[in-house]
Amino acid sequence: MNATYLAGDLRALRAAGRMSLRQLRRYPTNLLGTIFWPVLLPAVWVLMGQAYSGGGEPAALDAFASRAGTTGVTLFVFVGYLMYMWLSALLWGPGTALRQEQIRGSLEAVFLTPVSRLVPLFGPTLTNFVWIAMDLVVMGLAAWLLFGVVLSVQGMLLAAAITLIGVPAMYAMGALFGAGVLRFGEIGPAVQFTRGGLSMLCGITFPIAMLPSWAQAAASAMPPTYIVDAMRGALLRSATVADLVPAAASLIGLAAAFAILAVVVFRWLEASARRSGMLGRY
Amino acid sequence: MSSEDDRGAPAVAATGLTKVFEKGRRTIWQRLRREPDARETFIAVKGIDLRVERGEIFGVLGPNGAGKTTTLRMLATLLEPTSGDVRVLGIDVKTHPREVRAKLGAMLSGERSLYWKLTARENLEYFAALYHVPPKETASRIDAALVAVKLADRADDYVERYSTGMRQRLALARALLPDPPLVILDEPTVGLDPQSARDLRDRVRELKRQGRTVLLTTHYMEEADQLCDRIAIIDHGEIVALDTPAALKRRIRAEEVVTLEIGMTGEDAPLLARLASSAVIARSDRHDGTLAITAHCASARDFVPAAFDAARSEGATIQHVEVVPVSLEDVFISLTGRALRE
Amino acid sequence: MGELRAAIAIARKDIRNVSRYRFVVASQIFTPLYQGVLPALLFGASFAVAGHVVGLEKTIGTTDLTGFIFLGGVMSGLVATAFWAMAMSIRNEMEAGTLEPTWLTPTSREVIVLGRALGGLFWFAFSQVAIFAIGIAFFGLRFRPEIVYALPAVVLAIVAMIGIAYLLAAVVLLIKEANFFIDCTNFLFATASGAAFPVVLLPGVLQPIAYALPTTYAMDLIRQAGLGSRPLFDPALEYVALVLTTAIAFPIGLWAYRRADRRIRRLGTINQY
Repeated sequence: MNATYLAGDLRALRAAGRMSLRQLRRYPTNLLGTIFWPVLLPAVWVLMGQAYSGGGEPAALDAFASRAGTTGVTLFVFVGYLMYMWLSALLWGPGTALRQEQIRGSLEAVFLTPVSRLVPLFGPTLTNFVWIAMDLVVMGLAAWLLFGVVLSVQGMLLAAAITLIGVPAMYAMGALFGAGVLRFGEIGPAVQFTRGGLSMLCGITFPIAMLPSWAQAAASAMPPTYIVDAMRGALLRSATVADLVPAAASLIGLAAAFAILAVVVFRWLEASARRSGMLGRY
Repeated sequence: MSSEDDRGAPAVAATGLTKVFEKGRRTIWQRLRREPDARETFIAVKGIDLRVERGEIFGVLGPNGAGKTTTLRMLATLLEPTSGDVRVLGIDVKTHPREVRAKLGAMLSGERSLYWKLTARENLEYFAALYHVPPKETASRIDAALVAVKLADRADDYVERYSTGMRQRLALARALLPDPPLVILDEPTVGLDPQSARDLRDRVRELKRQGRTVLLTTHYMEEADQLCDRIAIIDHGEIVALDTPAALKRRIRAEEVVTLEIGMTGEDAPLLARLASSAVIARSDRHDGTLAITAHCASARDFVPAAFDAARSEGATIQHVEVVPVSLEDVFISLTGRALRE
Repeated sequence: MGELRAAIAIARKDIRNVSRYRFVVASQIFTPLYQGVLPALLFGASFAVAGHVVGLEKTIGTTDLTGFIFLGGVMSGLVATAFWAMAMSIRNEMEAGTLEPTWLTPTSREVIVLGRALGGLFWFAFSQVAIFAIGIAFFGLRFRPEIVYALPAVVLAIVAMIGIAYLLAAVVLLIKEANFFIDCTNFLFATASGAAFPVVLLPGVLQPIAYALPTTYAMDLIRQAGLGSRPLFDPALEYVALVLTTAIAFPIGLWAYRRADRRIRRLGTINQY
C-alpha cells in the first residue's frame, strides 16, 4: 500500500470489515446456520463411525488408530468439521466477495475510488474470524453434551494457538480463491468444487493415510492439512508446543506464499480488465 | 351459471370489485386464541365497476400505486378479490378461473418472465403446452405469434441475447398463443426506448384489427391518448372518470392549457381571483417570489392578454407563458389536484 | 391429455434448461461422488481389518461397505431431487419472475409440480446411472440379483417423495428464508431415512420420526435386497408400512399445496422477490 494513502486505506479496510459485520447481523439464518450445521454435520459422521466400527469393536478401532493415530473417532470428526466450517465461511464469504461485487455491478464503483486494490481483496476477510470463534464454541459444546467428550485445558489452548497461527494462511488462500473466481466465473460451482477438493485432500473426514501418495503430497501444500493435523495432535495425541512448531512454521511459510500469489494474480487480472474493459461485465 | 364463453357478454364486467390487504402478520397463537384481527388494512381497490366491450382497446390510466395492477391481477385470476363480482368473457373469475385463463392472453411482468437459457421458440413451445394448444396447431401458432411481434428471424436465439424491447415483444407473443379474445397488458411499454415503445403500440393496434379486445394499464398519458378507445382514470383505488379520450378532455371545458410563471411580492389571492374570472385555475404553486399557475381556457388568445392586464394591475410581472393543447394529464390534475407523475 | 402434455412440457423445459449449464450437469454426477460417496468410503475403509469392515457386519450383517454407501446415495439423491428440483425450484422460479406466467395458463397448479417432478427424476436417474457405472468400474460395486425385488419400493418411494414435494412447495412459497429451510430439512430427512447410517443408531427419541418416513422402509428394502443386509423388520411388513406412509404423505402434501396456492392468490405475492 502506498504510504501516502496508508491512513485512508486502513480506514477503508476497517469500513469493509464493518460492512461485512453488518451483513452478518442482517441475515439471521446465517446465525441459525452457525448453530445447526456445526452440530449436525459432525454428529452424522460420528454415527457413521459407530456403524463402521460396530459400535466400538476393538479390532475396528485399532485399525482406525493405525491410520489416524487415535481411537478418538468423535473428536477426530469434530476437528475435521471445524475446518470444513472454516472453509465454508471463508469461501462463501471473503472468497466470493469480489465476484459478488462484480455481479452486482459495484466493483467498478469501488475501483473508481482511490482506495488500494488490496482493500476489496483482503477487507472482507476481517469478519471471518467471528464465524470461526462461534463454530469453535458450538462444536466444543456439542462434542461434550452429545457425545461426552471432555477437552483438556492444555489441548484447547494449543488448538486455539494453532488456529491463530493458521489464520493468515487461510486468509491468503481465500484471497487467492477470490482472485481466481473473479476471472473464472460461477460462484456456486467454484465453492463446491474447491471445498470438496480440500475436504478430500486435507484429512477432514478421513485419515490422510487413506489417500494415495500423490494426493498426500498435494495435501502437504495446503494450509488446512497442517491446521487439522496440529489440532488433532493437541486434542487427541497430547502434543506439546515443541511437537507443533514444524506445523506452525509451515503455516507461516504457506501464508506468505499464498498471499504473494493472490496479489500477483489479482494485479494481473486488474490490468487485463482495464485493457479489455471487462471489469464491469462478467 | 354457465362457464362457457358467452359471446354476447362484454369482455370484462366487474361490479363492486374490491381488494383489501392486511399489513403485518397474524401469528398462529393469535389465530388459535381467536383474537380479533387488529391488523391495519389497506384498500388497494375500492369497489370499482368496470365494463370493457368486445373489440375495443381499453386503458386504465393512473399514477403508480393507484390500483391498476391490482385490478388487472384480479381479472387474470392471480389475485383473489376481497369482494365484488367479476366476469371475463361472461365467465365468473372466482368459480371458473381455469376457463378464464384458457381464454385470456396476459403480459404482466414482461421481460422478467422468460427463460433466458431457452430460445424464443423453446419458450413458446413450453407455454403452448401449458395453454393446452392442440399439438397439431402448436407450430403454426408459434410461427404466427413470432411474425406478429416481428421476432421470426430471431426465433432460435437464446432470450439472454435479446434486448429489453425484444423480450417484451416475446412476452406479448406468448400472450397470443391461446388465440385469446381478450389480451391484458400491464404497463407494456415501461422501460422501453421510444422506438421500441412505438413498435409495441403498433402491435397492440394490430390486435384490435384482428378483432381482439385489449385491456391495458399505463401511467403514460400520451400512450393512453393515442391507443385507447376508452380510458378509465384510476386514483387511490377508485375510478374517477371513464370515457373516450376526447370526451374526457372536453370535460374540463377547455381547449387549451396555459401555464404562467408570475413574479410577485404581495398576496396572490387577488390575482388568482381575477384570473379565475376568465379561466379555470387547475393548479397554483407559490414558491418564494414566483407564482406558477396552470389554467384551462377556451382560447389562449383571449386569456393571455387578460392575464397580463391582471398581473400589471396587481403589481406582478408575467415572466413565462406556455400554451399547449389539453391533455389527459390536465384531466387528471383537474380531477385529483395532482399530476400523474408526482 | 392437455394436462399430461403440459407436465411433459414442463419436464422437457427443465431438462433443456439444466443441460445448457454443462458444469451443472457434470456436478450432478461428481458432487455426490466427491462430497458424499468417496469420503464415506475412505472413512469406512479406515476401520477395515484385513480388507473387511467387520464393524459394519456387526451393525447390519454385511461387510459390503461400497454397496452400503452407493445405495445410501440413491436415497439421498431421491430426497434431494424432491427437496430441490421439485419444491425449491418453484420458489426459484417465483423469484426469477417465471412462475407467474405459468400460473396465468389453464394448466392446473398441481400439474406444475408434477412436471417438475418428472424433470427432476430424469436428472436423478441420469446421475444415478452414471454414479453406479463409476462404482462398478472403479470401486467393485456389485449387487445381488434379488435387487430387482426392491424396484417396487423405489417406485413407491418416488410417489411418496412427490407428495412430500407438494408439502415442501407449499412451505417454500410462503416463507421468507426458504433456502435455509430446504437445506436443513433435506439433510435431516435423508439422515433420518438411514441413507448415511442405519436408523437403529439414531438416538431413541428420534427413531419414531425415522419410522414415520416412507423412505426409511424403501432404503432398508433396497439394501436388504441388494446386499443381503439384516432388515429392520420383516420385508413384507416393511412394504405395508411403505404403502401406508405413502398413502398418508401424498394427500397431505396436495392439500397443503392447494392451501398455499389460495393464500398466495389472496395475498398477491406470486411475483415477489
